[in-house]
Amino acid sequence: MNETFAQRRRGAAGGWCWMLPVAALWLAAPAVGERPVPPPFYAIRDARVVTGTGEILDRATVVLADGLITAVGTDVPIPADAWVIDGRGLTVYPGLFDALTDLGLTQEEDGEGQRGRGGPPGFGGDQPPIRGPEDRPGTQPWVSAADRLSTADRRLESWREAGFTTAVTAPGGAFFAGQAAVVDLGGDDPRSMVVASPVAQRISLDGPGGFRTFPGSLMGRLSYLKQVFSDARHEERVQALYQASPAGRERPVYDRALGPIRQALSRGLPFLLPAHLGREIDRMLAIAGEYDLRPILYGGQGAYARVAALAERRVPVLVSLEWPEAEKDRDPEADTPFRELYHRRLAAVTPQRLHAAGVPFAFYSGGLSSPSQIFDGVRRAIEEGLPAGAALAALTIAPARIFGVDDRLGSVEPGKIANLVLATAEPWAEDVEIKAVFVDGYRYAERTPAEPAEPPAADVSGTWKLTLETPRGGREMTAELTMSKDGKVSGELRGERGSQTIEKGRMSGDRLRFKTTFSMGTRSREVSYNLTVEGDELSGTVSAGPMAMEVRGERSGEAPAAAADGGEKAAPAVPVDELERAMAIVQGPVRDGDSFAIVNARVYTVSGETLDGGGVIVEDGKIAAVGTDLDIPDGLEVIDAGGGSLIPGIIDAHSHIAIEGGVNEGSLAVTSMVTVDDVIDPDDVAIYRALAGGVTTINALHGSANPIGGGNAVLKLRWGKDAAGLRFDGAPPGIKFALGENPKRSRGPSLPGVPQRYPATRMGVMDVIRQAFTEAREYRKTWRDYERAVAAGEKPLPPRRDFKLERLVEILDGKRLVHAHCYRADEILQLLRLAEEQGFRIATLQHVLEGYKVADEIAAHGAGASTFSDWWGYKVEAYDAIPHNAALMTERGVVVSINSDSGEEMRHLNQEAGKAMKWGGLSELEALKLVTLNPARQLGIADRVGSIEVGKDADLVLYDGPPLALGSVVQKTFVDGVLYFDREADRRRQATIEEIEQKLLGEAGNNDRAEGEAAPTAHHASSHASTLLRHEPRYSCREEH
Amino acid sequence: MQATIRGKNTPLSSPVSYGGEDRRSRTRRAGRRWLRILSRTVAVLLATAATAAAQPLVLDGGTIHAAAGEEPFAGRVVIDGGRIVAVGEAAEVPEGAVRLDVAGLHVYPGLCDALSRIGLVEIGAVAATVDTAEIGAYNPHLKAITAVHPASEVIPVTRETGITHAVVAPGTDRDGVVAGQASLLHLAGWTVEEMAIETSVAMVIAWPEIQTRSFDFATFSVRESPFSEAKEQAEEAQNELRDWFDAARQYQRAMAAGSDRVERDLKLEALARVLDGQLPVVIQANAKRDLEAAIAFAEEQDVRLILAGGRDAWKIKDQLAEKKIPVILGRTQSLPAEEDDPYDRPYRTAGELAAAGVTIAFGSSAGGGFGPGGPHSARTLPYEAAMAVAFGLPRDVALAALTRNPAEIFGRGDELGTIEAGKIANLIVTDGDPLELTTEVRHLIIDGKEVTTDNRHRALYEKYRARPGAER
Repeated sequence: MNETFAQRRRGAAGGWCWMLPVAALWLAAPAVGERPVPPPFYAIRDARVVTGTGEILDRATVVLADGLITAVGTDVPIPADAWVIDGRGLTVYPGLFDALTDLGLTQEEDGEGQRGRGGPPGFGGDQPPIRGPEDRPGTQPWVSAADRLSTADRRLESWREAGFTTAVTAPGGAFFAGQAAVVDLGGDDPRSMVVASPVAQRISLDGPGGFRTFPGSLMGRLSYLKQVFSDARHEERVQALYQASPAGRERPVYDRALGPIRQALSRGLPFLLPAHLGREIDRMLAIAGEYDLRPILYGGQGAYARVAALAERRVPVLVSLEWPEAEKDRDPEADTPFRELYHRRLAAVTPQRLHAAGVPFAFYSGGLSSPSQIFDGVRRAIEEGLPAGAALAALTIAPARIFGVDDRLGSVEPGKIANLVLATAEPWAEDVEIKAVFVDGYRYAERTPAEPAEPPAADVSGTWKLTLETPRGGREMTAELTMSKDGKVSGELRGERGSQTIEKGRMSGDRLRFKTTFSMGTRSREVSYNLTVEGDELSGTVSAGPMAMEVRGERSGEAPAAAADGGEKAAPAVPVDELERAMAIVQGPVRDGDSFAIVNARVYTVSGETLDGGGVIVEDGKIAAVGTDLDIPDGLEVIDAGGGSLIPGIIDAHSHIAIEGGVNEGSLAVTSMVTVDDVIDPDDVAIYRALAGGVTTINALHGSANPIGGGNAVLKLRWGKDAAGLRFDGAPPGIKFALGENPKRSRGPSLPGVPQRYPATRMGVMDVIRQAFTEAREYRKTWRDYERAVAAGEKPLPPRRDFKLERLVEILDGKRLVHAHCYRADEILQLLRLAEEQGFRIATLQHVLEGYKVADEIAAHGAGASTFSDWWGYKVEAYDAIPHNAALMTERGVVVSINSDSGEEMRHLNQEAGKAMKWGGLSELEALKLVTLNPARQLGIADRVGSIEVGKDADLVLYDGPPLALGSVVQKTFVDGVLYFDREADRRRQATIEEIEQKLLGEAGNNDRAEGEAAPTAHHASSHASTLLRHEPRYSCREEH
Repeated sequence: MQATIRGKNTPLSSPVSYGGEDRRSRTRRAGRRWLRILSRTVAVLLATAATAAAQPLVLDGGTIHAAAGEEPFAGRVVIDGGRIVAVGEAAEVPEGAVRLDVAGLHVYPGLCDALSRIGLVEIGAVAATVDTAEIGAYNPHLKAITAVHPASEVIPVTRETGITHAVVAPGTDRDGVVAGQASLLHLAGWTVEEMAIETSVAMVIAWPEIQTRSFDFATFSVRESPFSEAKEQAEEAQNELRDWFDAARQYQRAMAAGSDRVERDLKLEALARVLDGQLPVVIQANAKRDLEAAIAFAEEQDVRLILAGGRDAWKIKDQLAEKKIPVILGRTQSLPAEEDDPYDRPYRTAGELAAAGVTIAFGSSAGGGFGPGGPHSARTLPYEAAMAVAFGLPRDVALAALTRNPAEIFGRGDELGTIEAGKIANLIVTDGDPLELTTEVRHLIIDGKEVTTDNRHRALYEKYRARPGAER
């Protein structure tokens, strides 16, 4: 036995990398249950009982038998055969309920449900490609969590130890992920764990798909959800009719995906819908409303912004306790947007708000990997004002109610399942000792009380380089540690295999102990570090189950300066109401009020005269009078324009701002089923920047990746309103087409093993469009035949609604405007002729850089042309682009607009229009029309906007000089008479941002946006990056690949 | 490709056909335009005649804006042998000189695109026509002029707004650091030899920046990498750059000592010209920390620094002014870098730098040049400068940034940038302020010769404007 430790290790295994396969084997072994046998009867006496129904009993007795609570009260006789537990000084709580998890779920592959996870061979490319919604990508509603439970998940034990007795567990990773179940977290047989199943169908936006596979964008995913719900509703009707009289009818096609969804719909089973932020909540509630779903939202951290709507509809919300925090290891000089800081601060206020408004809500662990993190999250919500009783409810009775199992779970009442926690304090309290946890009446081992702690002998905060002494040499890891005064240690451990959160860290004397969780798939094991610290060095052992090795380390960096407070992010000292006031300034109108007069302006009415020394009267957001000698009513506010120019709000007929989750659904050649309207992002700062450039209305378009793209959204830039508030009500809907290099993908990367998408030539592009309309005609006929049959009193089977074809029929019926991206004269002509052949008109040709070559044909067809001022030469089809295009087409009678296709260029569309004066010699008025009245005509909204006329919307821009001059700067921008941009107010807005960021981030500041030297930003280690930060590239069709 | 330079070999005819009568009479402005075209043609004919005989040229009767910031005056400019020989009311008209009447017009120094890819890119998306970036991270020995295509259609298009010369710089591929040497070129000439003012005016370096965000074209999405990783990568690349400079210094010493063991190395030889002080370095950087690191590098290596890009230069403007480090700014019309930045942050940068005393210029590809515009948008350089004027840049400084400053930044202040006797005759004759959109450049004098303002765009315009009405 004189072997050294190292030799033993070598003999036993042979290197650090043994740890992985060995650990994997060991993880695969089923956990040995710690269930005590035999199951006795219990009586907990003299305990304080928090029943969870609002009642608190002192010195009460709780009797458990046969897995149920049989009696609760201060006057309850103790059965003779009961195992009596002295509850003095302890409190009985209902067992905690984690409202959404994947606890106990093994990762079994399901070929069908994984459809759409395509890729090159070796990356899942053996799957057939997804040709559209009909191929049901990421759809496995038949998968039942209850059928997939395994006790091998070690998290079951750690959750249970912390007081969790129940959880909803649900499959994930697919759009229709499957059926959720309520399970008890005890027992060694999965069957005995299930309390109720199914309790909900889980919907997720985290399914397969991508750049080349449908659905590849958020709008694609949302359209897919809608199509499936529609299909399920349809199948319900068709099957009923068919089963009633099958004879003589075509048999409906069997679809495995729809059965479970239909069942859920008909039984009123709730659907778990993902939504954090306000705009996401709006989208999900819209879908729930449209298809009559019973919604349960999950995520919910941004619900602070939608409390009223949720309360009104009584929509339950599952709130994730993984509060947003700063990204780890992020650029210290990178700016954290105010919007992000605001969300981080407000997120944890959500529970209090929901509680106050009476919205049913429950907590869930989200992506957290340990109960200690869950409890950190609970405490944070309580710090933000959530009453402790409401917090307990959100972890007990509330989820039980939401999932319809409050008749058996969620409170300490006779007859309910015996799920209890016996503890010294509320289970989330920092110093709590959990004395016992009962699941289904079984008692589980009490949590080992923390070791007696000595005061820490040293501050271990800082960056440590750790070296694991493996027989194959040292393995490096980095630990970022933060210690609070009482010795609690938190932080993060990074190694080759990613990073782990440090849990249960404590410095006691010179001993440092902490744990991390080592995960493989859904299984995980704890790894324990037991170290001795001497100054800037440490040494000790790391153990994982039966394996152990030596570790040593040294401190390589200072402690993060601002993190001395127990590693927890110091609650910023900015009151929430101050933040909300700031937010209203940052994202909202300069002021309310939509009645006023402007005088002393050069008024470009555009449709009529230009008036020097003129003005307008605006009443209730509409233009009430225009003239030089206005009769201004008493008391009406008067704005002196100081001789500046007043023009109608600028209209950008081609924009890609305010679109979330991808501008292209480029996976298929025809994606008319998707629409930008589903993914309007009202929080995009590009809206404000556009207002600062005088833009008041935009045509938010799908990208140009396919011959027939998605629907559009015509928006008024009412900054601060939600998506619905941005919509230009009454604007005809549109759709994007695209010709030429982009849809044929001449420049896209070709991946080995991935078939190229048809089309690859201009022949194919036209063919795709012709085919699509041929199909759409058939579809229209099917519906007309059906309607005729119904009118004739027959009972035909209704055809399926196909959103892709439905939108094309709208084009044929003249109800949807086609905005066609095009460059070359020949393809322009081809499209015009194809449209004529199919019997519709192209509303606008977009870009249309060679439009000047076929201007007469364009004019004769009646299409508008929306072009760039002077971009050229970036690709072959733009080589003949000339800056005279707009003027030349105008000369030939085409209605022409100048658009931006760019979040930058849209900020000076006035100058872009002015270029048509230089190149092609348009008059100032004609040039101004290119960005006002003409795009309004093209978009079918000229009755509302585009000129300054009595009765029109008061969308106005005030410049300090001639509107098209390079030296003129926008002073004010009004939409519907409301001032949304003001050059003076912009300075105040900027000051507000600076001030709040200073307060939130401390002296270090956010960045050195303000003049002066930068100081490094204190950034906190955190468990996860916020969901709010989106780093999407700004899209432009010009840069399409 | 049609010839774009009208020189002695060009037939004395108008460049395009003006189409049928019916088309011209269709709009009310047609007559006016016809006159304008006619007068331009006459001017070209005159100029052509002048250059054909290599006679002196006199711009007579215009208002001369000899130098940005100075009072304009009436007078004449006398040009001979490619140089300005006399300026002023009393300037003597040499015998046999061709007189160009510019009465009522304005004479300005020709504008300069201070960092450009003109001639290196014909069509951005067609790799076969792009010669900006060579393979490899270190190519100090390459010179832009080697790949400049004198017949590029981009050149005459760019000239139309008054840009007469440009510093054409190579770029780098994604991982490139030393791109090569920039060349100062006339935007006219039958060959690059005729275009060349100086084949090498600076060594161009793309500073290895800390990049946590990278765009993945395979998935069309932005990838984030941890900061510490990105920082390590950048520092490694920066150290490699130092190694190259150290090696060049060593090489130079060995060569000076007449070593016969050290083999000749063209790359190190080229870098040594920087160490000698023969060439300044242009370092493209945008973030504050990268600008500062570039300054530290230049100081440590004792080389003359010109910064390009300079998105955050306003954050260190006092330092830049104090150290007399000039900045070639990229596009004024760009988006704020951060969400919370003021909407007009990029618009204000030039003005703030100028107010602090920093010497600025504008370059169409100074910001890095990625994007569809590239050299094709170089013609809007005066308009981008004008945008900066609207946001605080004094107008005369804007004009200096397009004329005198680039000349001085690249050490050619005695040859270009103002209208003074002895300087290279790059001039424009306009009907107004070149920073105004509606101003037209009536005459372009490059290297002492009048050059046409016609270009591919105007030719296409006139061709299709003359298209008879389509019948259907």
